[in-house]
Amino acid sequence: MSFWTELDTELAEFPARPLVERYERMCTERFTGYRVWFSGLDGHRLFGFLSVPAGEGPFPALLETPRHGSVNNPPHYNDRLRYVTFTMMHRGQRLADVPFAAAYPGLFTLGVTDPRTYVYRAIIADCLRGAEFLAAHPQADPARLAVSGEDPVLHTAARRPVFRAAVVNTPLLHDALHRREHGESYPLEGLDDLLRAHPERETAVRETLAVYEPAALARDIRAEVLLAAPAEGPGWNGELLAALGDRGTVYQRGEQDASDARAIDAWLSGRLGMPGMARFAS
Amino acid sequence: MSCGTPVPDTRKADDEPALQVRARRTTPRIADMAPRNRTWSPQARSIRVVAMTEPQRAHIEVPRPPDFDEFWTETLRLAESIDPAPRLIERPDLSSPEILVTELRYVSFGHVEVAAWCARPRATTGPLPIAMHIPGYVSEPAILKSWARRGYFAVDLAPRGKLRANAVVNPGFPGLLVDNIVDRYSYTYRGFYLDVVRGIDVLAGLGETDETRLGVFGSSQGGGLGILAGALRPDTVRCIASGCPYLCGIADAPRLTHSYPYEEINEFLRIHPEQTTALKETVSYYDVVNFAPAVRAPVFMHIGLEDDVCPPETGFAVFRELDCPKELATFPGSGHDAGQPGVQQRIEEFMDKQLGVRA
Repeated sequence: MSFWTELDTELAEFPARPLVERYERMCTERFTGYRVWFSGLDGHRLFGFLSVPAGEGPFPALLETPRHGSVNNPPHYNDRLRYVTFTMMHRGQRLADVPFAAAYPGLFTLGVTDPRTYVYRAIIADCLRGAEFLAAHPQADPARLAVSGEDPVLHTAARRPVFRAAVVNTPLLHDALHRREHGESYPLEGLDDLLRAHPERETAVRETLAVYEPAALARDIRAEVLLAAPAEGPGWNGELLAALGDRGTVYQRGEQDASDARAIDAWLSGRLGMPGMARFAS
Repeated sequence: MSCGTPVPDTRKADDEPALQVRARRTTPRIADMAPRNRTWSPQARSIRVVAMTEPQRAHIEVPRPPDFDEFWTETLRLAESIDPAPRLIERPDLSSPEILVTELRYVSFGHVEVAAWCARPRATTGPLPIAMHIPGYVSEPAILKSWARRGYFAVDLAPRGKLRANAVVNPGFPGLLVDNIVDRYSYTYRGFYLDVVRGIDVLAGLGETDETRLGVFGSSQGGGLGILAGALRPDTVRCIASGCPYLCGIADAPRLTHSYPYEEINEFLRIHPEQTTALKETVSYYDVVNFAPAVRAPVFMHIGLEDDVCPPETGFAVFRELDCPKELATFPGSGHDAGQPGVQQRIEEFMDKQLGVRA
């Protein structure tokens, strides 16, 4: 049984048991907001903001996977107008931090010397659970599901091939050992801190990150994928692009993030049959 | 693209043509500032039309409460009556042969302990210039090794509610912006603002820092509270790099955007419309526009002209109120990144120049 199949099997042993509660302050005439508590691997209770457009569905639906950081904003107003949106927190983040609260810096290297203990095993399982929740929502159009976020989007799309489109905003796990050489910023600097203190662990870290390398799963992705490359520093390597083949498109970010946001929004909304919406002056 | 009012800087020779500055006037401390009578006007409600095309012309109304100075004088007095009892804890697990990383903990307003990450070059002896960063709303403080490598005692604050400073006060995210927003005395940002001010006091008093060379920088929440820091500690803060400042035009901003964090106010008023007056009263005490005239240090501000998070109208509003040497860089096509990553070099050059650092 492969590493990822074993994870699926293990996750299936923990029912999601979602608790969905209408959240009045996130309700308008044009959409209804909910808070959702649900269970992931080991029964850890997770959290998400769900929003459903007013009117008769089904609607296109968007899963926003968590960023690397303590806090995720709720779904944006413009997205709530167009999509069933589910913005989730993985274990350790605010609103999902009992009994485990993530440390920053610290989370990125937690357990990284063994693929089975690496914290991203559970975090990716959390994302898979979020995908299951959204795909099962009665108002979500199964033919128009999308996922966006950092590169755990690729793991999610590979292991839950229900998505029509996937937007990857930035690399995280991809090519991490190489990308850490280009700066001193966290979370990648955490790898330097670890290997400085424990150089003998480099092989183990390398082997773990190889398991979590998105390129290793990319052939299982059915969605069209937009890979947004950072304006500076290394982006997406040839191995990943080759694995995605003609399903992958690279969008090179420039120095105008509002223009980039418009272009990415247009790409995604076009694949879901919805109009593009600029956040500025909306 | 830059704009500003070029006036000779009377304090320092400035051979940088791009830095357009105004002469410093003798600006009183916040407690001595004469109150201005501002009121909410019908004109302010028409701002949206102007905003989409010419944000610099938008009229942002920020009333200044008559007892604004008294409120902050008393708040400062309460904070200063508490011994910050700073502790520096070495973190060898995060340090390198070149950079020493420490965790700073100190006691702030309301006896709440807050934190900061500090990084300094090991090789340099003697007091170091201070580069103090204030994190954004959803960001956790970083360890600024690249700034330390350039010769700074580099600090990133974790005010209350941030991780490592949320044991007692934990408003959650989303939530901080509207936490107790109907009462200026218990509004959570009251302590948060003072965590920044007391952080300056603590840093200036560390033996390994040069209290005469302290600069503040940050974007969004860090950009707004950098201005606040300059207003409440005008004798210590020597320069401010402020990106897309948040907490400016707080009452108007939610009408200009549906992006968080200002969307929190829209959501709050959706379920508590009866609290509109109380909310506007509270935020008038906290609006950075009302602090801006007390800033004396040179300010470099950069904003994105398509910023959906901190609308550019509000950035222009606070910039207009600054009465100090100042430069504004605006970036068409930029949103909340406000010119990053390209503007980073200008920020560093500004800080280096103002603080006499040869990086």
